[in-house]
Amino acid sequence: MSARVLVIEDNDSSLELMIYLLKSFGHMPFRARDGEEGIQVARSERPDLILCDMQLPAMDGHEVCRRLKSDPVLRSIPLVALTAYAMVGDREKMLAEGFDGYLSKPVNPEQVKDQVALFLSSRTRIVPQSIRSS
Amino acid sequence: MSDKLFNSSILTGVQHDISEKTCAEEALQASELRYRRLFESAKDGILILDADSGQIIDVNPFLIEMLGFSKEEFLGKELWQIGLFKDVTASRLAFAELQRRGYIRYENLPLETREGLVRLVEFVSNSYLVGKSRVIQCNVRDITERKRFEQTLQEKNIELGNANLAKNRFLANMSHELRTPLNAIIGFTGTLLMGLPGPLNADQEHQLSLVQISARHLLSLINDLLDLSKVESGKVEVNYEPIVCQGVMEEVAEALRPLAEDKGLEFKIKAPKSGVRIAADRRMLSQILINLSNNAIKFTEKGQVQIQLVTRRSNGQTLASIEVIDTGIGIKVEDQKKLFQEFQQISPDHRNEGTGLGLYLSEKLAILIKGKIEFESEYGKGSTFRLLIPTA
Repeated sequence: MSARVLVIEDNDSSLELMIYLLKSFGHMPFRARDGEEGIQVARSERPDLILCDMQLPAMDGHEVCRRLKSDPVLRSIPLVALTAYAMVGDREKMLAEGFDGYLSKPVNPEQVKDQVALFLSSRTRIVPQSIRSS
Repeated sequence: MSDKLFNSSILTGVQHDISEKTCAEEALQASELRYRRLFESAKDGILILDADSGQIIDVNPFLIEMLGFSKEEFLGKELWQIGLFKDVTASRLAFAELQRRGYIRYENLPLETREGLVRLVEFVSNSYLVGKSRVIQCNVRDITERKRFEQTLQEKNIELGNANLAKNRFLANMSHELRTPLNAIIGFTGTLLMGLPGPLNADQEHQLSLVQISARHLLSLINDLLDLSKVESGKVEVNYEPIVCQGVMEEVAEALRPLAEDKGLEFKIKAPKSGVRIAADRRMLSQILINLSNNAIKFTEKGQVQIQLVTRRSNGQTLASIEVIDTGIGIKVEDQKKLFQEFQQISPDHRNEGTGLGLYLSEKLAILIKGKIEFESEYGKGSTFRLLIPTA
């Protein structure tokens, strides 16, 4: 299943890696280098999934999450935190903040395919059909 | 004659009476002297009050010194008349209670000195009879210094806690900075090995897998720092899963064999054919074995490093014993107890690149997965470190 996936990531190499992986798995990636741009692209492209780095310049991942989840149109897009800052309890904290999932860096390429598929499938469950097709 | 006798007997009797009285007086004097000495030299303040009137009838030098009032100022007055107690009403109430109960005790009573300084005291009063009159003895211990020390200690403790917090935050931030570049290294090594950009030849695949193993090893070292800050702060999650020891040993050997071979060392595995199963956190287990094997390689110049698996019975339990045995320099007896300490590097002359966290963390991790680490070592001959963990 091909999906439109937005990656918000400021680190060049990490961004390139995610874009490459998503393309390899047959998805259509969009890129954004900071939170502001991420929200813009989310508005214009309405992706099926957003992967967002936590440590972004200016607007960090928490703020991006807050804005996306308070937007009536964008809130239904599954949002996955992407971070190297993996402390115990972070996952729960992020889910509580409104993220729909959590991907720990360094990512394991062999697992990314399944993880992305999982996040996309959870979207089918939680998002009504009408909103998805709009 | 009879008179004489009679008289003499009277005299004797009188003599006897006098000497008895003298003895009693002497004893009394001696007792009074002992009491005086104690009273005068005591390192606590002592006040004697008349129990009925509440007037001070005696005060010892220590209290005079402590509070700065003269003896004359004390004598004949009631406690609140000399401004010892700021709250007159409370003092009167306390005295009434003392009269009723015969005992009163304050843990942390502020008394004012003549100069208006506050001394914190422990104040204990007892009332008792002296002859026919009832008196109250108040023992006044100056605890100002003790309280000050306690306060300082408490402040130092808070400071220490803050410093520890700062250290943990620093470690967490450092770990983040160090892990970010590894994302690309491990990620792209992975894409290449998956053959996503195209097929690899055998050499490329082998070399890339070495890059991957090394990068993962580096990651695990960085995770040490993260783990340490977590273990230290008590926030750590143990994910138990069924593990076959041989599998983890193979992984560790594969990761570290190149390191050993670079030094011309043999790296061997010795284990029973049938799988020995334990329940443990996989990452913690392999981290312990990597740490132990890494040390073995680091401190061995010739010979071999071997990971050996045996099982043994102990207290009705079967334990898996994973032993890392080297033929290295060994550890001097005097260094052995420093071994498991944080940031402790034995033999500073030995050029090694470790953090000094390996064994310290390994031991903490072993405890977390309900195991323990033992070792034996002979200086100049080699060391054996073993992880003991109950089989599943």
